[in-house]
Amino acid sequence: MFLKFSLRSVFYGAGGGNDIQWCFSQVKGAVDDDVAEDIISTVEFNHSGELLATGDKGGRVVIFQQEQENKIQSHSRGEYNVYSTFQSHEPEFDYLKSLEIEEKINKIRWLPQKNAAQFLLSTNDKTIKLWKISERDKRPEGYNLKEEDGRYRDPTTVTTLRVPVFRPMDLMVEASPRRIFANAHTYHINSISINSDYETYLSADDLRINLWHLEITDRSFNIVDIKPANMEELTEVITAAEFHPNSCNTFVYSSSKGTIRLCDMRASALCDRHSKLFEEPEDPSNRSFFSEIISSISDVKFSHSGRYMMTRDYLSVKIWDLNMENRPVETYQVHEYLRSKLCSLYENDCIFDKFECCWNGSDSVVMTGSYNNFFRMFDRNTKRDITLEASRENNKPRTVLKPRKVCASGKRKKDEISVDSLDFNKKILHTAWHPKENIIAVATTNNLYIFQDKVN
Amino acid sequence: MEVQKEAQRIMTLSVWKMYHSRMQRGGLRLHRSLQLSLVMRSARELYLSAKVEAQEPEVPLPPARSPDPYLHPPREAEAAAEAAPSDGEQPSPEPMDTQEAPRAEETPARCAQRPAKVSRKRRSCSLSDGGDAALVPSKKARLEEEEEEERASSDVLDRLQPPPAQAEGAFPNLARVLQRRFSGLLNCSPAAPPTATPACEAKPACRPPDNMLNVLVRAVVAF
Repeated sequence: MFLKFSLRSVFYGAGGGNDIQWCFSQVKGAVDDDVAEDIISTVEFNHSGELLATGDKGGRVVIFQQEQENKIQSHSRGEYNVYSTFQSHEPEFDYLKSLEIEEKINKIRWLPQKNAAQFLLSTNDKTIKLWKISERDKRPEGYNLKEEDGRYRDPTTVTTLRVPVFRPMDLMVEASPRRIFANAHTYHINSISINSDYETYLSADDLRINLWHLEITDRSFNIVDIKPANMEELTEVITAAEFHPNSCNTFVYSSSKGTIRLCDMRASALCDRHSKLFEEPEDPSNRSFFSEIISSISDVKFSHSGRYMMTRDYLSVKIWDLNMENRPVETYQVHEYLRSKLCSLYENDCIFDKFECCWNGSDSVVMTGSYNNFFRMFDRNTKRDITLEASRENNKPRTVLKPRKVCASGKRKKDEISVDSLDFNKKILHTAWHPKENIIAVATTNNLYIFQDKVN
Repeated sequence: MEVQKEAQRIMTLSVWKMYHSRMQRGGLRLHRSLQLSLVMRSARELYLSAKVEAQEPEVPLPPARSPDPYLHPPREAEAAAEAAPSDGEQPSPEPMDTQEAPRAEETPARCAQRPAKVSRKRRSCSLSDGGDAALVPSKKARLEEEEEEERASSDVLDRLQPPPAQAEGAFPNLARVLQRRFSGLLNCSPAAPPTATPACEAKPACRPPDNMLNVLVRAVVAF
């Protein structure tokens, strides 16, 4: 017990998924789950972890900021409170195709902070926007020609001149769109990723990947195009793409066939030919009717070190070493008990759910979501895994979360839940891990849960 | 039988899902459509292979005739026409068996027949023209052959899908379109006849394997 405690304090922020105890910290969002526009569609910490952004189906972005004061208190880290809320995207209509363009925010990516303001990229299906979030805590007072409330003074009443001065005011956080990158995607954008040069970024749709410069909105370079000459020969689409965290010339994209291609932009202008192809041969014993669609990769994430990448398909999480293409180095089953239920999951459309995954700051633990508001963590070092639930029942701060277990078949033990009792409407698709600390943000349908490890 | 029923159910479900996805905000999702068409293809393959297994013990087909109709096109052209009224069972195992088989020997004539029947809706391509040149016969003769094929295809179709009446309710037009294409696929070979290819760029009949997938992708793209 003592050893565990001291280990925790020594390896602060680098603990394994099972060596630490996760506690409820906060929950954001309405208690009833009826409003469709509030469905959270993306969650992302910024580079310092001080800010947490969420995007929702209604096109809104909500940014939470960690309170600094509470860091002094030993029993918990700072709480996240609303910092800024703004409408990022509005519904649009494509008149040529007679199609509505959803305002749902698909992805948010933060830029590293260069000055007092914060910048993030948010995207819906067609348009990417660069937002500047800045604070204003003082305002000029003492204009010569204007009253304090803004009304203009009668110039003839001005008898003296003064220089306006800045006086403190209540903090106001303003979000303004600085760039709008539009009209570059025929298909639906699924990913954006900022290059390590912090000047360019990529956006990926089902068939193409474009490279942008953050300053230039009227053109982008197409770097990957997998559209076949004849659309009827289409067999796979791009499902996710990401730049390497350190090599500015390298990026990967995953496909609906379960392959990942690593491309080097130095090789050619159009990166249609991959430098590396990561693919695991299919296990013939697992071949089934729905094999093809459950092998589709829904998310790909590089480790912070850049040595590994993680992919999420419907039933598993795989860790790949960039130096080995023929198979992943680690595979973790998220909810293998669903393999026999694929037909029902096809009927209720759950088989199409796109789960995301994330690394902890030290790349020792990975996390992903599941159904029934369960989420899973896999410790790569100890090889242990844990299932936790995001539920309002464990509402009190610092309540330690109890590990959950799903009983696949046979006799159900006490406290286990059987597969048939799982609620498939309660799914955790989006999770995020603080870059430095053991704080996680887990999004259920329209609530955001924040959990922290137990600090004594 | 169970497998067949299940496969049929999945196919129907997939069609419904595809139709429903048209109604979604944001338009048709390419990835979703692709996944649905993959499932449909798997279901169809499962259905057809289950059918073959069910039929094998019952119908000992003469080897010359049944396994490779597409490799012996001229004979097949008559055989199918003759066989259709008498033995409706025959055409069905063939498409599945020869799905992957090379179809280089396919004649323009054979190919022309089917697309002419299949492509009522979109395929206004000149394949019919190009192919017809070889066929020529009078319109009357062609019509007769078409009728034979129609009967054969409808036999197979009924077994393959619920009768139109069942599918009418929610989306009658889509069901009919897909039925027509289904029947076309079952009877036609996907090979591209050399003479006809230049004339027409898009023909459902003359496709590489996976024409089911292609037709469905086409259907999806059309939507």
